[in-house]
Amino acid sequence: MDFSLILRRFKTSSSYYISIGIFIMLVIGIASSLYYSALKIDYVWRWFRIPQYFVYQDQVEIRAQIEGEIESILIKDNKAVIGIKSDEEIEVHTVPISDIRVDEGDLISPGDILATYKKWRVGILMQGLWLTLKVSIIAIVFGILIGLFAGIARISSNPALKWSAITYIEFIRGSPLLVQIFIWYFVLGTLINNILAKKGIGQISPLWFGVAALACFAGAYVAEMVRAGIQSIHFGQIEAANSLGMTYIQSMRYIILPQALRRILPPLAGQFISLIKDSSLLGLIAIRELTKATREVITTSLQPFELWFVCAILYLVLTFSLSMFVQYLERRTQVT
Amino acid sequence: MIDVKNISKTFISHSTEVKALVNVTARINPGEVVVVLGPSGSGKSTFIRCLNYLNVADEGSITIDGIDILDPNTDINKVRAEVGMVFQSFNLFPHKTVLENVTLAPIVVRKKSKEEAKKKGMALLEKVGIQDKANVYPDQLSGGQQQRVAIARALAMEPKIMLFDEPTSALDPEMVGEVLDVMKNLAREGMTMVVVTHEMGFAREVADRVIFMDEGAIVEVGTPEHFFKNPTHERTKLFLSQIL
Amino acid sequence: MGSAVALKRPKQGNHYYFWVGVFFFIVIGVVLSLYFSARQIDYTWRWYRIPKYFAYQEQVEIRSEIDGEVERISKKDNNAVIRVKGTEGTASYAAPVSALGFEEGDQVYYGDVLATYKKWRVGILLEGLWLTLKVSIIAIVFGILIGLFTGIARISSNPALKWSAISYIEMIRGSPLLVQIFIWYFVLGTLFNNILAKHGIGQIPPLWFGVAALACFTGAYVAEMVRAGIQSIHRGQTEAARSLGMTYVKSMRYVILPQALRRILPPLAGQFISLIKDSSLLGIIAIRELTKATREVVTTSLQPFELWFVCALLYLVLTFSLSMLLQYLERRQMAV
Repeated sequence: MDFSLILRRFKTSSSYYISIGIFIMLVIGIASSLYYSALKIDYVWRWFRIPQYFVYQDQVEIRAQIEGEIESILIKDNKAVIGIKSDEEIEVHTVPISDIRVDEGDLISPGDILATYKKWRVGILMQGLWLTLKVSIIAIVFGILIGLFAGIARISSNPALKWSAITYIEFIRGSPLLVQIFIWYFVLGTLINNILAKKGIGQISPLWFGVAALACFAGAYVAEMVRAGIQSIHFGQIEAANSLGMTYIQSMRYIILPQALRRILPPLAGQFISLIKDSSLLGLIAIRELTKATREVITTSLQPFELWFVCAILYLVLTFSLSMFVQYLERRTQVT
Repeated sequence: MIDVKNISKTFISHSTEVKALVNVTARINPGEVVVVLGPSGSGKSTFIRCLNYLNVADEGSITIDGIDILDPNTDINKVRAEVGMVFQSFNLFPHKTVLENVTLAPIVVRKKSKEEAKKKGMALLEKVGIQDKANVYPDQLSGGQQQRVAIARALAMEPKIMLFDEPTSALDPEMVGEVLDVMKNLAREGMTMVVVTHEMGFAREVADRVIFMDEGAIVEVGTPEHFFKNPTHERTKLFLSQIL
Repeated sequence: MGSAVALKRPKQGNHYYFWVGVFFFIVIGVVLSLYFSARQIDYTWRWYRIPKYFAYQEQVEIRSEIDGEVERISKKDNNAVIRVKGTEGTASYAAPVSALGFEEGDQVYYGDVLATYKKWRVGILLEGLWLTLKVSIIAIVFGILIGLFTGIARISSNPALKWSAISYIEMIRGSPLLVQIFIWYFVLGTLFNNILAKHGIGQIPPLWFGVAALACFTGAYVAEMVRAGIQSIHRGQTEAARSLGMTYVKSMRYVILPQALRRILPPLAGQFISLIKDSSLLGIIAIRELTKATREVVTTSLQPFELWFVCALLYLVLTFSLSMLLQYLERRQMAV
């Protein structure tokens, strides 16, 4: 296109800088109009409440469990060892020395606070973010395995394999992920857990049905990538392998798949980024990933505006940094 | 060594039938170099590809070293391991180094040890004059070098027969010589070879027999002297008049 | 020798049909194992209950609203008009002839059933299917408009346009649709409707926030298609147009866009199919499209297994027939 030329002409003129100014004003305008229209409906922005959902300091109280006397408080490094002695037994607590509430010789009843200290804990949003990543990683691993198998089956000449693969791929790609998650949870989940209950075996948690739904979903898309990747390898490669006496499996294993997988890698990474976004649906079957965690925090904090934006930004950071990473990898593999 | 009887092959391309081979019968004896000549589209490539089961003949029989390769009970990969093939477009494995290209099949098909395959591979690379490129990837080689690696790759399987499907057609003119030299050396060592080519000089110099094909059929078979000096068939004369 | 060749084909053929058999065996096996494992947990399959959620016969009763006498019944074809004359006036009712329960001269009282007949009504699933299609169509229309504008802005040399387009596209493509729907509904929706309420104007129903979310979502993906489409047009086309003295806008309007749009058509249709699946998320903000309709029917009918499969099947039929249509159109276009 001719745009670079236009751009060059444009850049020299002052209207280029005016346009940059307009863009920045646009961004500020949208942000402030959001801010003021929220104020207009008496919404109070409380951004300071948000960080606690990432990490917070929890007050930990250490209580005595027996009745007795504080026999000793030994200070060692940054810890204090409190020993309580009763008639029958001795109880020992190791605590940080920040806030010790008892002295040697004090008489203690069960439940009395011996010491308190503050501890950093991971907040619910951070937990949700971690769960989002975890389910996405587990699902993509199984998705790749399923996809590899289904993709190879898809181009097999055996009709049982080929048609099974086509049926699977078309079913998954033709219906919404949400419906698939519901089928995994409400239909297959009910079935499997009821049968397990009848046999007296423990239940499978919703998390695993969610992961199964995501893995099967991703698997169908990966299968299409594998198929396209294999078919993109020049036919001469298979012929050369065949002419050397390699079997179908050997030529797949040593010649076709290594080349195909290298080509599949970039779209596969894209699929993983998709999966991170798709995992937001798992919140609907009570899995507390990032979106569900956000919804839960909103019901307690009543700060929906801040939290929904934070949630979206967290996803953006996650997907954006991943796609930057993928671009970096792609550039690197192109060089070699 | 190779006994081809009455094979025919029809392709269907754009819903019209193309007769690539019509009732072809030929025999290649041990130690013989047979060059297959003919205009493009004459079926000579299909013929040589049928010998390696890359194309499957519709009817007739092909026996290699006493094994009928069209018999469904034949393990074609065992036969292929004994027959080396060199392609027009090299078909080197781009994700393997030159040496790995040469050693892969001996290791996975012949189950040779890595050291043994490497030793043999290096010897073959030396033979085709490319030992200094053993550890580079194929895309860093010139066309002539790639084709020499492809020959070494085929030789690594210690084949009894070598098939060459227009090995110099994809090469720049200045690289044709280096590949033909390797092939001439092979012929001198007594390798049984079937060569599809347009290189008349090679045919005249190296071939024991020349097969001339046109429109899917074998038109004329003979020694190079007979073929180039006293062709009997009109179509052969026409072809030679256009080429020489 | 010929016999060896002759042997080969039938053998391959037998293999083929054997494996086709295996495929059907697998399909039947999956269905049966579902059926029987459901039986094992005492689930009763009641497929016959499903059709009524598509269409059902409703009993319609026409009741007299006054006391009086049936003055006249005028029949025309299969329709009858019943005139009731009372002390305070007359009233007319229309009903099919077959449904009449009174004759001329009969006395009727307030609330008497004059006629009963059955009428076909559209069931909730069919309504949901229709709503799914409707929101998808509206959203794709707006999505295309947004995408066309943003796609052109994306390759513009004006930084205000270009950066705005990039920000929009990246934000939409980097975050889950579900979160976007929540932001539209819980953040923007709350804002709009509260401000509207303050000004005493009527409320916007959730449906429109849902459609807006889908349209904006699709717009970002369409923008990328438009960009790719324009950039795929050979630069010689622009140069030729410019050399003829056309302005940038004119060369876009008459030369580039007509060619680009033709190339965009197939991926655009694919995007529409995606949109149909994505619209399943609207159920979460109380829009009764197909998935939400299914959830509602499940809570009243207590037949989750049948209904979830029916729901998935409906989506499959919808997306599959659309993609068949798309393939047909593509073939026709290629032939031209």
